[in-house]
Amino acid sequence: MLVTWRYRERKSLIQSFDPRAWLIFFLCFIASTLMFWDFRFLLGLLAVALFFIFTSGLRWREMRRAWLFIGGFVIFFSVLTFLTGRGGMELYTTEHLLAKYQAGFTILGWRPTLLVTAERLMFSLAMLVRVFSLASMTILIPYSLNPSLYGVAFRGLGLPDKIAYAMDLTMRFIPTYGRDFSLTMDAQRARGYEMDKIRGGLLEQVRKLAPLIVPVTIHALAGSEDIIDAMDLRAFGVGPRTWLQELKYRRRDRILIACGVLLLLLSTSLSLFGVGKFWVPAFLTSGVPLL
Amino acid sequence: MAEPLPLVIENLSFRYRSRSELAIHNISLEVQPGQVVMIAGASGCGKTTLARCINGLIPRSYKGELSGRILMQGQEIEKLSLSRISQMVGTVLQDPERQILGTRVLFEIAFGLENLGFSRPEIIQRVEEALARLKISHLKDRETFNLSGGEKQKVALAGVLAMHPSILLLDEPLASLDPASAQETLETVRGLADEGMTVLMVEHRVEDVLRIHPERVLYMKEGEIRFDGPPEQLDENVDYSEVKLPVSVVLPLAAQRVPTQPIVPATIRQAQAAPLVQFENVSFGYDVERPVLQGVDLTIQRGDIIAVLGPNGAGKTTLVKHAIGLLKPKGGRVLVNGQDTHHLSVAEIASILGYVFQSPSHMLFAPTMAEELAFGPKNLRHPPEQIEQEVQQAIETVHLQGYEQTPPLSMSFGQQKRVSIAAVLAMRSRILVMDEPTAGQDYKNYMNFMDAILQMPGFEAIIFITHDVDLAVIYANRVLLVNGGRLVADGSPAEVLGDMGRLHANRLVPTSLLEANLEYFPVTGKFMRVEELAHQVPMAG
Repeated sequence: MLVTWRYRERKSLIQSFDPRAWLIFFLCFIASTLMFWDFRFLLGLLAVALFFIFTSGLRWREMRRAWLFIGGFVIFFSVLTFLTGRGGMELYTTEHLLAKYQAGFTILGWRPTLLVTAERLMFSLAMLVRVFSLASMTILIPYSLNPSLYGVAFRGLGLPDKIAYAMDLTMRFIPTYGRDFSLTMDAQRARGYEMDKIRGGLLEQVRKLAPLIVPVTIHALAGSEDIIDAMDLRAFGVGPRTWLQELKYRRRDRILIACGVLLLLLSTSLSLFGVGKFWVPAFLTSGVPLL
Repeated sequence: MAEPLPLVIENLSFRYRSRSELAIHNISLEVQPGQVVMIAGASGCGKTTLARCINGLIPRSYKGELSGRILMQGQEIEKLSLSRISQMVGTVLQDPERQILGTRVLFEIAFGLENLGFSRPEIIQRVEEALARLKISHLKDRETFNLSGGEKQKVALAGVLAMHPSILLLDEPLASLDPASAQETLETVRGLADEGMTVLMVEHRVEDVLRIHPERVLYMKEGEIRFDGPPEQLDENVDYSEVKLPVSVVLPLAAQRVPTQPIVPATIRQAQAAPLVQFENVSFGYDVERPVLQGVDLTIQRGDIIAVLGPNGAGKTTLVKHAIGLLKPKGGRVLVNGQDTHHLSVAEIASILGYVFQSPSHMLFAPTMAEELAFGPKNLRHPPEQIEQEVQQAIETVHLQGYEQTPPLSMSFGQQKRVSIAAVLAMRSRILVMDEPTAGQDYKNYMNFMDAILQMPGFEAIIFITHDVDLAVIYANRVLLVNGGRLVADGSPAEVLGDMGRLHANRLVPTSLLEANLEYFPVTGKFMRVEELAHQVPMAG
């Protein structure tokens, strides 16, 4: 059975919007964020995302797992980018050295050296802020969209019946997959399987993951077959469909959509004029450029 | 002019594209309106295939070679679209979990009507009607995910009824229900038939269905109809070891046969030995407001064969998951072999306690059955020669000899279920725990492997969760009743199951075997299967 995200009705700002309006705003926000590399602009966008998080009525306890997972991931990659200096190469051509640390030892004649440059620092900061604002808005989606409105919301955004319903099922498939995964994990642990003991080369590791991957995949396939049967048996897709729920835009929804569209237009024009590109504060670049 | 019959089947045969042999052959059938027709038979007898031909999934979703014809109210269904058929035949699948698509009851019931493009007021009216007909109007705004098994079944049924079919096709509707929910479903179905609906019910649980007096019973075997007639003639035409018949029917028949060797469990009771598993005031919950287990005290001793009974969602699975350490108690503690599960890994406990999950599809992965069965013992680092022996014996216990090189994933559900049990048997744990081992299995099969498991040496205790009261009557020497997260009764089968008030309070329904055993208990002094009972009480029947 398809399970749903743990959606709960709360008296919060985001839940007061029509799901279509919220989805449109969400997409505008994501697109706008992707246009900028300027730390200052990104901070502004992060502030918008945090505003929605803090008014969402969600408690830390509910979001903790999602945040720890995404947060850990983002911080790890930002630090990695910073240490290696890779990733921002196409955004800047020169670097300004701020500090240089050299290890007191060599490995096969190579001395590990950390170059702290203004560009690397700003790039990893920008990346951190950028991904965090994308993540904040995305984490909100399952908590802010009523699962029983997924289908009709997508339909209302202009998608055809079949695709709208498919999107509905897809959205609910993600938590279902998660549940199946943990059930399989439990079943295999009961057979003495331990994931932390997985070692060896990449192929070997994949092979050792088979006890998890195979049942979960097969279950997903069999589950989708059941869903197709159940839909066929109740005449899905034979003609134009009635959607029992009706969505109506209210004043606040129009305002939200207008804000989203304005944000997107503004971001697009700014980036067309070359504003909002990678930015390094002037005081950091007073040193000698490093080539 | 006479009304055409709701359903006429003429010479129907079908072969699935991937199989070489016919799944059903030469089925002919005429069904009168307002009747309940039960279709019984062992797994793989072709009853689900027949159901799929009737509801149009064959040949539309399942491809193969189909011959013969099906007429529904005089119309040949081959020429009809699935949407047209779905308005004539309403299908409720085996597991309501697999049928429910909507997130809320209202939308689930409306789904078919939405697809047919009805207007909103019309949809609402028909949904209300279907809800009222099944007396579940109070569920309308509930989330489908949070319903109990019985409620899900009724919601699935309402979703089909809202489309106003003239034939209702139920494919093993009782498989996942507790006894009280099963009985309610059956009564609902009887009521619908009495109002004029034609009901076809595919079901293993023959004895249960007989209680609502089906007008007609079909018995299928090897793709053919072997018996077609009134239920009263069933005993003369069908072997009682193949389908479960009421005790009153079986007793005189069994008395005439040579007594079967009683099954002697290999586990031996030792009251003095140290307890195997101890629950000390265990409580558990995913959030504080809704506890799943509360104040459970339980000691599992050597020699216990425990049946855990209780309604859907009572906390039975949560309880046994604590024994293997997959869940750790939020309050109190669980000791396995004297050690707190907080300090043991699941893998460490697995060598002591083997756990067979409810759904085999959550664990099968290996390319052959032999490899599947060797997985557990390998993880526990058993020596290779020993593993070979363990695998072989497990295969024999579940009667799957000859399938060693078959991929488990290509087997039928019943076979997969047996593989999943064998996979745990091969680990040679000292305690065996099974979550609904017989669900979705036919009678003969599950009786055979339950017999074999009990006689298998090496287990110090066996615990199984079940909805089947008879399984507790026949196999258990101790019964636990779980309800609302509490252990409400713990004792011998006669003590726990003898109290009718308690049975009803825990959504259990006495079976004919339980009633007979209670009746003869002063003579027999213990519970036993019907074949033994027939010889213990000579005057029976």
